[in-house]
Amino acid sequence: MKLFRFNSIQSNIAAAFAFLIVLTAIVISISSYQLSSIAARRTAQEYTTELIKQLNLNIQTYITNMENISMLVMNNRNVREYLTSLNGMNTEEISDFLQSISVSRKDISSIALFGEEGYWVSDRKDVQLNPNITVKMMPWYQDAADADGEIVISSSQVQPIFQEYPWVVSLSREIRGPGGEQTLGILLVDMNFSVLNDIFDQIDLGKRGYVFIVDNNGNIVYHPQQQLIYSKLKEERINEVLEDQSGSFITDEGGQSRMYSIQDTGFGWKIVGVSYLDELVSNKRDMQISFLALGMISLILALGVSFFLSRKLTRPINQLQEHMKEVEKGNFDIQVPVDSTREIGRLARTFNIMVLRIKELMSQVVKEQEFKRKSEISVLQAQINPHFLYNTLDSIVWMAEAKKSEEVVLMTSALARLFRSSISKGRELVSIQTEVEHITNYLTIQQMRYRDKLEFQIDVDPEILQCLTLKILLQPLVENAIYHGIKNKSGIGIITIRGHQDQDEVIFHVIDNGVGMDETTIVRILSNQASSESRGMGVANVHERIQLYFGNAFGLRYESELDVGTSVIIRIPKIGPEIMDRWRAKE
Amino acid sequence: MKWFKRIIIAILIITFLFVVYKGLSVLPGNIIKQRYEITVVIKSMEPSMEFWQVLVDGVEVAAKEFDVNVTVTGPPNESEIDEQIRIVDEAIKARPDAIVMAATDYNRLVPAALAAKKKGILLITIDSGINSEVADSFIATDNFEAGRKAGKAMADNLEVSAKVAIISFVQGTATQIDRESGVLASLEEAGITVMGTYYSDGVEGKAYQITRELSEKHDDLRGIVGLNETSTVGAGKAIRDLGLAGQIQLIGFDSSINEVKLLEEGVMQATVVQKPFNMGYLGIKTAVEALRKERIPDIIDTGSVIITKDNMYMDENQKLLFPFVEK
Repeated sequence: MKLFRFNSIQSNIAAAFAFLIVLTAIVISISSYQLSSIAARRTAQEYTTELIKQLNLNIQTYITNMENISMLVMNNRNVREYLTSLNGMNTEEISDFLQSISVSRKDISSIALFGEEGYWVSDRKDVQLNPNITVKMMPWYQDAADADGEIVISSSQVQPIFQEYPWVVSLSREIRGPGGEQTLGILLVDMNFSVLNDIFDQIDLGKRGYVFIVDNNGNIVYHPQQQLIYSKLKEERINEVLEDQSGSFITDEGGQSRMYSIQDTGFGWKIVGVSYLDELVSNKRDMQISFLALGMISLILALGVSFFLSRKLTRPINQLQEHMKEVEKGNFDIQVPVDSTREIGRLARTFNIMVLRIKELMSQVVKEQEFKRKSEISVLQAQINPHFLYNTLDSIVWMAEAKKSEEVVLMTSALARLFRSSISKGRELVSIQTEVEHITNYLTIQQMRYRDKLEFQIDVDPEILQCLTLKILLQPLVENAIYHGIKNKSGIGIITIRGHQDQDEVIFHVIDNGVGMDETTIVRILSNQASSESRGMGVANVHERIQLYFGNAFGLRYESELDVGTSVIIRIPKIGPEIMDRWRAKE
Repeated sequence: MKWFKRIIIAILIITFLFVVYKGLSVLPGNIIKQRYEITVVIKSMEPSMEFWQVLVDGVEVAAKEFDVNVTVTGPPNESEIDEQIRIVDEAIKARPDAIVMAATDYNRLVPAALAAKKKGILLITIDSGINSEVADSFIATDNFEAGRKAGKAMADNLEVSAKVAIISFVQGTATQIDRESGVLASLEEAGITVMGTYYSDGVEGKAYQITRELSEKHDDLRGIVGLNETSTVGAGKAIRDLGLAGQIQLIGFDSSINEVKLLEEGVMQATVVQKPFNMGYLGIKTAVEALRKERIPDIIDTGSVIITKDNMYMDENQKLLFPFVEK
């Protein structure tokens, strides 16, 4: 579950990538869905409008046909003769003529002529006029009479004149005499409404879409839900249809919004196609699904790609981390392969250098530790130098034999103090006072041994007595001065020890007036070359110990002149007594 | 950068939920959810029964509008009660979402209705109900109100002292009882005497016979109310043949070519017509609403209209009087 812990670079990168890709995918999906649904809707609207236009055209053609039929009848000579002559004799002939027109057309319910005087003829010989109605009172008759010879088209209605009550659309027209003044009669062509109904039914405006027709007065000519509207169970937007100029409008009913496409037939009808917007875009669902699928795929892709990319990016980091773990365990003998990625490569290179450096430092530390151990041993040796001890004890024995009891006491107590002062509880640093006491005791013993040959002088600034110094620092130098400088000298050798502070440093001088040394001897003494000789090693050891403890800025410096004497200058940092206190507290 | 991470996590989660939600809402809509299946059981499949044909028209218009699958079935004839019971049982086996039923018998369809409800099928009764509360809604003409209208039309044409007879069809049917009590109530209000109710058993000839006998026996008979189409037409033909048009007022129920002729001739003064189209339409609409867990009324009155010679050709009445049925 490492992937989902959000504190790893990999998961962060993965999340960022996924986020970006998903966001882009969503934005693109939504916008393209919007765009394509708008486009689809526009196409559907155009299609609907075109459909209604076509329907309008069909109906117009149909009505024009009917008009032509009416013209055919009107201009027939026999018909005109029949109407003008007021002669009912040739009724049969006229009826035959009318029948010849209607027989081939199923859509014509009946054709009839009604004279002003009440006589009539129709295309059917077997029908009787409904005795209970007055033809002249029928709306189609009156409308035609009022229309100045223009064609009148009725709403869909029941035609009761032959007591058959078919649903028809009536086309009626006044027939006038030659002068245009005289009314001869009315021509009625009844069209079977089922034919129109079939035409409307063929129009597919979606599952719920429908077509309806209103006349200019807002009366419904045809509506599939006419009864619901009359019963007020439904409302139709007839007023809006009548007022509309543009040919189409869309209602604002949310998910139930409808588009009205309106076409004017030119003879008083408006044909209105109503389609539901959510159905117009019939493949809306498909579009939604495909865009959703697209979104899903891009989500999966995003997760995959981001996972892959983040893995690729973080692999060298992880590799580096693995190596670091190795180093952590203590294995410094590894080198991280420098990866091709520049940043990580750089990091790896730096890391490699660092490991190398650590390795070097470690070996250095090991060496230093080894040296420290050695130097401790040499300090111990210096402290408890067996030669010095048995020489001193020899001297005490001699003095005792010579009954010089006072001197025996002096020497023995000096020896005792010497050892006591060198007991430093294992501490490397002791106060300068302790060191001075130590060297005093040492010189006291040596003076008693080299009775007339050695004198010494100790002059240490009391202010620095409480400061710290390495222990057994002066003894090897003094020892060296005695054995190499004064011992071989004729006359009295004088050893002077001075101590003072110089700013942050404490400087000791060990000065003798012995035989002195040449350059090579000085170099040899300071370097570790004189290892065979324990004394020489003592001096070099002091130098190295100072440098080890206080750094290379400190140490010993020899100034020597043959037959004049030697001066050793010891520089150590000034370490105040408070450090001592701290160490004590620690212990 | 913690907030940044949190925002990213939040957005990812929201996106994921959105996608899942969308997926769940769109996919089942297309794949799982089907359209409601509604079975409509009518009283007669006979094509000449215009009332039922118009009702089926209403059913089909509603089916189209509400996007449901409708199966219309029923016995060939109104009198075949056993056949209708069998058809309803058959329909229950098909497990539709709803059954819209016009019961041929007030009592005998009750077990079938109970069986449907037991299967969890929504039940709507139309036109003729059943002797049970089990139906979720009853959609029909308020026959008592229709009867009142008929009675009032009669009373408007008569003087207070006039005597009136009622010719009903089958004794004991709910429709007949309601219409009769409606007529009686309004005539009583107008102070008109009702000689009695006579039963034609739905046979035109019998109504004719009854009318002839009544008019011969009672000189003072001034009105007849026919409670259904056959009773009315029988009575009307008798009045016409006896030459008593105008002398004996006739108020009828329902519509047919014969009734239209009687209206035009002036033999019949008015007829009360129902609205089968609306009944069929509302049957489906109510069923769909109930299936969508909307509240529906227990009873819906589809209404009735009184039609006279004067208003018979008005646009809104033509469709009721002359049902436009595609042949």
